[in-house]
Amino acid sequence: MKELLTAKRLLRRIALALIILVLVMLVCSVIGTEKVSLRNVFAGHADGKAANPDYQIFIRVRVPRVILAAIVGAALASAGVVFQALLRNPLAEPYILGISSGAGLGAISAVILGIEWTLLGRSPLAVFAFAGALGTVWLVWFIAKLAKKNKTTTLLLAGVVVNAFFSAVIMLLISVAKSSEFYSTIFWLMGNILEEEFFVLWLAGGFVALAVMALYKISPQLNAMTFGPQDAKNLGINTAAIRTIAFAVASAVTAVAVSLSGLIGFVGLIVPHAVRLLFGADHRQLIPLSAVAGAVFLVAADTIARTIVAPAQMPVGIITAIVGGPFFLVLLIRHTRKSAF
Amino acid sequence: MKLQYLIIAFAIWIVLSVVLFASRSSSTQPVHDVCEPQRIISTAPNLTEILFALNLDERIVGVSRNSNYPPESEEKPKIGTFWQPNIEAVIAAKPQLIVTLSFEQQINLAHRLDRMGFNTLTVKIEDLGDLYTAIEKIGTSAGRMQAARQVIDSIKTNLNNLSKKVRAYKKPGTLWVVQRRPLRVAGPDTFISRLIQIAGGKNVVESSIYKYPPIGAEQLYACNPEVIIEASENCENLREQRKEALEYYKKFKGLSAVENRRIHVIDADSVSRLGPRIDSGAEKITECLHPALTEPACGGSQLFYDKD
Amino acid sequence: MSIIEIKNLNFSYTAKQPVLRGLTLDVTAGSFLAIVGPNGAGKSTLLNLLSGLLRCSSGTINVDSRSLKSYSSQSLARKIAVVRQQTPPPFGFSVLETVLMARTAFFTSSGFESSEDLSIVDEALRATDTFAFKSRPLTSLSGGERQRVFIARALAQNTSILLLDEPTSFLDLRHQVKIYDLLKVAQVEKSKTIIAATHDINLAAQYADSALLLKPAATHRGESSASSLASCFEYGAVHEVLTPQNVEKTFAVETFVSTVGSERFFLPLGSLAKDRRILSRQNKTDRI
Repeated sequence: MKELLTAKRLLRRIALALIILVLVMLVCSVIGTEKVSLRNVFAGHADGKAANPDYQIFIRVRVPRVILAAIVGAALASAGVVFQALLRNPLAEPYILGISSGAGLGAISAVILGIEWTLLGRSPLAVFAFAGALGTVWLVWFIAKLAKKNKTTTLLLAGVVVNAFFSAVIMLLISVAKSSEFYSTIFWLMGNILEEEFFVLWLAGGFVALAVMALYKISPQLNAMTFGPQDAKNLGINTAAIRTIAFAVASAVTAVAVSLSGLIGFVGLIVPHAVRLLFGADHRQLIPLSAVAGAVFLVAADTIARTIVAPAQMPVGIITAIVGGPFFLVLLIRHTRKSAF
Repeated sequence: MKLQYLIIAFAIWIVLSVVLFASRSSSTQPVHDVCEPQRIISTAPNLTEILFALNLDERIVGVSRNSNYPPESEEKPKIGTFWQPNIEAVIAAKPQLIVTLSFEQQINLAHRLDRMGFNTLTVKIEDLGDLYTAIEKIGTSAGRMQAARQVIDSIKTNLNNLSKKVRAYKKPGTLWVVQRRPLRVAGPDTFISRLIQIAGGKNVVESSIYKYPPIGAEQLYACNPEVIIEASENCENLREQRKEALEYYKKFKGLSAVENRRIHVIDADSVSRLGPRIDSGAEKITECLHPALTEPACGGSQLFYDKD
Repeated sequence: MSIIEIKNLNFSYTAKQPVLRGLTLDVTAGSFLAIVGPNGAGKSTLLNLLSGLLRCSSGTINVDSRSLKSYSSQSLARKIAVVRQQTPPPFGFSVLETVLMARTAFFTSSGFESSEDLSIVDEALRATDTFAFKSRPLTSLSGGERQRVFIARALAQNTSILLLDEPTSFLDLRHQVKIYDLLKVAQVEKSKTIIAATHDINLAAQYADSALLLKPAATHRGESSASSLASCFEYGAVHEVLTPQNVEKTFAVETFVSTVGSERFFLPLGSLAKDRRILSRQNKTDRI
């Protein structure tokens, strides 16, 4: 099926993937609803902001958006890989343990309470959604801890229960909200990539990059964990520590992604599978390549989302679903002929 | 990959973050204040109407997609929709003032534009008082304070005259329907309720935790409104819509409004939009409530006299 | 020399039902121990205790003269490898990748296998006759082939002790024998200690040196504690433990016992056999 993975091969693949990512990002920076002439951009930032809209659009709108899409895509894809490995379930994705409803609850609470203050220029929805996401993960983890054995199933069930409960609370709050509040929350939740200032991008990007590196470090252990906690333990893995680290990192990275851009679905589910189908299930390869592939995917999807129904901006989550579904289907059909899934 | 590399990378990230954070506060763009902005953008239809009312029409360089009044506004370049403004189009229009409403998406847009050094004005328009404040603020920012005061005074005068006109008459119990399925109506804590009051009606809905409560058939019969008014986005075919409404409400037999066929459909733009046409909107409501008093307008010389 | 020493081991899942009581035995290094007993007697439980997945409520287990509790997962994995029944994960790992995971505990800090790891794995694949499909995904193999892969993985761990839980339950006759041959070779040539829990007392009797016969707690409930301890298990050389009396009493079934040379075979008798009057009680043992 595939040749054996060696360090050299892996480095080559990662390097190639990163080159593709940079190229895609450059191309997508040039695409948009307004025509931007690169020559004007390089003329620099003239004094008096009205003088050089090309520069403004390119440097302050397009480039940050493309970078943010890459960061969020990488975060969701790598988190998806981890959740699939730990829960030993190919249908797992980053929101499976209730993060989505927790973030949604945080967001709608912020809107209804009329919170005004911002953190680092991020809207209150983002901050509350982040807190909601992390709080929910902690809650689900805590519930699962109460069970003595069969952690995996308990985690999944706890996630389902928390999701259901929080969704009910969200529905209650929505019914009370003004229509503008309601629409605001829904649009925010649908997932949008917007410009952020470079400091926020640096923080988030650095965090996601470090998280992916950390997950790569434990990827051989993740390989073993897919055979179940008993097997993994007998192979010498400290399953409790690995599980805690992996969940914590994957959840944190997902919470960051959600707070930056709302709930963008499909990336965390599809990208890991696509990479797995093309390159195999070894997590030492799967994690870094999924991160890069997720970045490429979301950059492309966001570019489509912001140009296809100009001048409106379609929420990027719609594109990821519409594009992601059939793409995955084709990949699946072509490759199940070569290997069993 | 050794663990040490990871830790070193982490440490570098933390250090650089602190450095960047410190240098960040000194690099935000200064906001250029322009006394008489020549290029103005509106992100909502009521804001567009206000700008036109202040005679700023030639200065408007961008409006949101559903700005449809006055008709000239439809010629203006579009910068996105009400819910999803397109920041690239806004920047490309080289605006000197951008006026937005105060809900999440638009506040977010205003902040982002602020960060880039643009001059933005965010106004909250959720009731009549807000409307007056907003018109004043926009007038101030655009250098049209006198025009603003005139518009405000004109609206206030019209509304006052209207309420004087109807003072002597009994106020019919009114139900304002926002949505049919499920039935949602305007509660007492809304600007619509206030308008109904001015227009000579009495909102039959009691206060609850919802501003626009969904109500069931039981409460409907308990309120027993004498007049039911629906606001429609579609200004054409108001007659057809009224016929259709009469059919729909037939199932609530025994309701005073149904028995007396006092069910009306009026165009939402002048009322729900909370813009400078609010006075004519109130007049339309008065036509529905006190038909004998007023000249009939859009949708109804048939208010009382058609037998269908 | 004992590689595993168990003293007075007690374990129960719930307070009322003890599964193992007062278990005491020493496993000689390089021996082949078969753990037999009816369902629920605690065979899998004992294996899980030995491999560090369960904690005993009282008693001690020493592995290689150190208390089992003192081992970390990683250090225990260098002493004990386990083969158990399982479904493969729903991801497309190949046979080679699966067996390579045995070397995870030995990876260099770069997270990759050394050439030594690769040669150990190669050897394990050849020993289990799975080298031919090393590139195929694990999920595409039959149950028997998969079983051999898991045994290869355990061999690749290069441990001195091998624990197996029902290693031949899904295998055809040929592969049943092949697996036991394989285990015997590992025992003899590599001096591994093999501990296999199995339902197949005949093959166990053929290949094992010693046997541990576990009697389920239910059979000795109601007896006084002193005598019940004594009758909870039997340990010793395989032919001393697997006697017709022990087998019939523990498994609560009539058996037909046949001896061929020094090998003894048990055939369980159900009502059909008795109906057909194939054998009367007096003719139960037979010399061929």
